[in-house]
This record gives sequence, structure tokens and C-alpha cells, in this order.
Amino acid sequence: MIEVIKPGLETAVQDWPGRIGFWNQGFPPSGPMDSWSFRLGNVLVGNAPGAAGLECQYLGPTLRFVDAAVIALTGADMGAKLDGVAVPLWESVAVAAGQVLALGPAKSGTRGYIAIAGGIATEPWLGSRSTFHQAGVGGIGGSALKVGHEIPIGPGNGTAGRRVKPEARPVFSTDKRWSVEVCAGPNDDWIDAAGQQRFLSADWKLSSKSNRTGFRLEGPDWTFAEKAYDKPPEHGSLPSNIIDHGYPLGAINLAGQTPIILVNDGPSMGGFINPYTVPQAAFWKLGQSRPGDIYNFRQVSVERAQAMAREMKALCTQASIL
Amino acid sequence: MTTYAQPRYLPGGDRYMLIEFGNEMNLELNFMAQGLAGAIVANKVGGVIETAPCFASMLVHYEPDDISFADLQTEMERLIGSLGPSDDIELPSRLFYFPTVYCDPWTKAAIDDYTAKINPEKEYDPAFVARLNGLSGPEQLVRVHSGTEYWVAALGFWPGLPFMMALDPRCVITAPKYNPPRTWTPQGTVGMGGASTAIYPVATPGGYQIFARIPVPIWDPKQRFDVFADSICLFRPGDRVKFVPVSVAEFEDVERQVADGSYTYNVVEYQKFSVAQYKAWVSRLDRSKRF
Repeated sequence: MIEVIKPGLETAVQDWPGRIGFWNQGFPPSGPMDSWSFRLGNVLVGNAPGAAGLECQYLGPTLRFVDAAVIALTGADMGAKLDGVAVPLWESVAVAAGQVLALGPAKSGTRGYIAIAGGIATEPWLGSRSTFHQAGVGGIGGSALKVGHEIPIGPGNGTAGRRVKPEARPVFSTDKRWSVEVCAGPNDDWIDAAGQQRFLSADWKLSSKSNRTGFRLEGPDWTFAEKAYDKPPEHGSLPSNIIDHGYPLGAINLAGQTPIILVNDGPSMGGFINPYTVPQAAFWKLGQSRPGDIYNFRQVSVERAQAMAREMKALCTQASIL
Repeated sequence: MTTYAQPRYLPGGDRYMLIEFGNEMNLELNFMAQGLAGAIVANKVGGVIETAPCFASMLVHYEPDDISFADLQTEMERLIGSLGPSDDIELPSRLFYFPTVYCDPWTKAAIDDYTAKINPEKEYDPAFVARLNGLSGPEQLVRVHSGTEYWVAALGFWPGLPFMMALDPRCVITAPKYNPPRTWTPQGTVGMGGASTAIYPVATPGGYQIFARIPVPIWDPKQRFDVFADSICLFRPGDRVKFVPVSVAEFEDVERQVADGSYTYNVVEYQKFSVAQYKAWVSRLDRSKRF
């Protein structure tokens, strides 16, 4: 069991791939935004790659380990210390009963992950332990960690001193710019050629009005193809309005002139077009960026995006461990 | 006719396919989407993780390690070809009555906040929607909007949120969505965008024009009321909804009953919806008439 002394900014229990199978009732998957770092942490401590762990955002928590454990910290560097001694990232570490793990603000990246051998053993809700804050379900009491929460841990079999090969780790941007892969579609044909070219060449700034439902982007205005204007009235009158339809996770959803990337806790349906979609293998970049950072979008084929996901899956295995 | 001769199969990143059946909102297209979703489950199509059918389209979430985009399209074409005519469809359809305050103070507060902080030129939603649809004002909007049953075509955007269509063509109204969207909407708000009416299950951001509110929960993670015994979401596709205009005082009375657990949902459960009979009725109506 782990006791929460300080919760951090918005630390929550997540598992991967999260709450899958309820999109047609409107439940998002939730889960870690950087599933690459998250999965590697689990592999380090001997868990299945998707076992429940903690996602720490911007500012990490302070935790007291009631029982001894083997843990691994991955993702953003939050300057973690165990009883005052610095803890290495990307490495499994033994924690003795009674020790206190303290994380601070993220120094590189934005989201840090704590994997614990045995995994977090909260009660699953609709098949997943992931926290969906806005609806108040999953995790512990449906919320981010709070002072005094007790986090149950399952029986584990972790070994300290295992490390992730450097070449298997994600490399975070150091200049606040990210090249993010996108696939065209489903509604790229609503954007005219100039608009498509503008989307792929412009700088897009991540807005502070972003959260786990959507990442709002600031950039140039969009221009539209003829079909965005010449359409039956039930679409709605703005060019980016379409008859409500299902949204892919990762869709770049054009609300009026504001593009919003629909991320882990995003809506399943709505009435705006989705000209482009960020594939799953690029989500870690979204998770490790922060408001003010600049995205440049790079178009890849659906087949390439699928290959990227396979390559990432292969990296999140024992083969990446030293 | 804006039903496509062949559905369109559109990619959404590495794991999604959007199938568009047509370019308008009609029950026929929704039946096709619901029918295909059912056929995918019945046929246990390999590699399909889940689907999200909506008004005129269906989203498929698939596992590319198990099925390619091209093979999935082939499989979907085969299933769509096997669906029978919708006139044969007759399905159980529950009817929910909701006490509803139109032009209520709570959605007005959300609109005022949006006008103050985000878009000072935003016209008050009920007046705006009435004007766009050639209605005399908010009073006629209330009469027209509450003058029909609504068909629950899909659930989405938020857990349990119903996307609904007016069944009476004389009550069909349309509206654009907010630009940019609202950052908050009160729980239980009724609004519309395009030709779709929705109820917001919880306080969320939103893009619909809003002009009414109900005090009755439509999702309940604690399952306090027996209508939530099978699911924490109240609605199923194929349900119908009727909004009954009430005063703020009645709203608050129901709100108290909901809070203390004594509220009884007003649900009719003995009816079936016949597509053939519905079509016959609609064909006799003068669609140009308003209430």
C-alpha cells in the first residue's frame, strides 16, 4: 500500500489501453497520454505493459510506501528523491517499507510515470482502472490523487537495477518544438488545397485552454473546399459543421476555426469535421508537451502510422531492457 | 436524395474507419448505421474492437494487427449488402417524458458568461435559433421544439448523451454550432446543433445552441434509480423523448425529488416503433406547417 502525502498537480491512476469498448455510449479510454514511457515503466518492474500505474502531470506527488516495493520512474524528469536521495529514471529501484518518494516539477517533458511491481490494484470500473476525472469514475474515487488516499498494490515480482536501453526511450524536445505525425482524414476533403498546405506548414501553438479532453491549437485561419459551404442545412451553417458523427481518438477536430486534438478523455461524437488524425504512436509527443509549445504536423500514410504503432509495441518489451 | 449510392470509407489515423452512408439526416440512414453495428456484433467480425453508429455514419475502431483497412472495407461492404430493407424494421421503443424549463435562467447564465468572456457578438440562443428558422420568437421556438417526439439516434460526445432527431417533420429546426465552443454548459441542458437535439448529462464544454434544461439525471454512475439497473446511461438507441414545458417552480420541485431519491421516471414501455407506419404517417403531413 502507498499513502499519498502530497498529491501533486493532477496525479491519477491510469492503465493502458484504458477503458475500451464503450465509445458507443460516450466513454473515452482515458489512460496515460505517453503510453510509450508508461509501458516501459511497467516492463521494468516485471508487470504487463498495460498494468495500472500513476500518471503525474507537471508537478509530481509525494508518496509514503507502507510496504516495500520495486518501482520505476519513466517519462518526464520530476527530480524524484527517495528519502532525499535522487532516483534515476528509466531504471527499476527497490523501495523499503516506510520510505518516502518525493517528485517535484517536470524539468524535461510534462508527464512522469510511476510503475510499481504488481501494479495498482484499485477496483476496475467498466473493465479499466483508468481515471476519467471529468466524469468522476475510475482510479481512486473517480478523481486525481488526494492527500490521505491509500493506493493498493497487487502482488509483484520486480527486480531492482534493470534499465531501459537508451535507444528504446522517447527523446523529448528541448526547444519547445515538436514534429507530430498526422494522417489525412476522415474529412480532409472539406479543406481546400491551400488550407491543407497551410495546416502542414504552419506553426501551431498549444493553447493554455487545453486539458485531457482536448488540446486546443492556435494558428492561422482555415480555408475550406466547396463541399464545406454547399451542404444540407442539418450539417449546421459554419463551414466546419457536419452532421454529428463518431470521432476517432486523436482527431484534429475543427471547432469553427479552432483546431482541437481529441486526446485520451475526449468526446466520442460531435458535429465538427476532423480533417486530420494524430495516430496513436504520436500521442506521447502530445503528452510530453505543454501550453506554449509549437507543433509542426507531418503527414504520414495510414500504413506508416500502423507500422509506427507496431515498432513502439516492439520497443515496449523485455528486448528493450538491459 | 443524398444517400450515397455507395457508402464512403474514410480513414481516421491508424485504428479508425468512418463509414458515411449519406449527406443528410433521416431515419433511414440511422437505421442503416444501427443495423450495420448489430451485424458486426452478430457476425463477430475479426479485428473490430468497437463501433459508434451515429445519424448518417458509423465509426469503426479496429486493430490493424488483425485486419487491414482494405480488408475491413471489403468486410463492411459485404455486411451492408446483407442488410434488409428498413421498412421491415419494427422495434421496441421506450418513450421518456421530461419536465423541461425553456428559456431558463441557468442556460441563460452560461450564454451570458460566454458572451462576456469569449464572443461579445453572440446573440441570445433562443432568439437566434427562432430567427434562423423563420419563427416569430422564443415563444414559438418553445412550441415547435416541444411539439414532437425525439428519436434517440446515437449516444456519444459524453457518457450517455443522446443525439436525437425530431420525428415530426413540422418541428425540424436547424442551427449552427458555437464558434468557438462554450467552455461550460449546465448539467441537464437541452440544446441543438445542425438538426440534432441533445441533453447534456453533466456540466461540460459544448457547441450546441442552448435554450432549455431538465432536472432529471440521464446518467447515474451510482445507479440510484431503478431505470439505471442495466446501465448507468439512461438511453438506448431507438428510445424516444418528449419534452414537457414546465415552470421554474416545477423544475425545482422535481429537482428536490431527484435529490432525495423519491423521483419516479415517467417512461412508457409498451410501444413498438414501426418504420413502415412512421413513413406512411409522414407522407400524409404538410411539412410546411409549423405549430
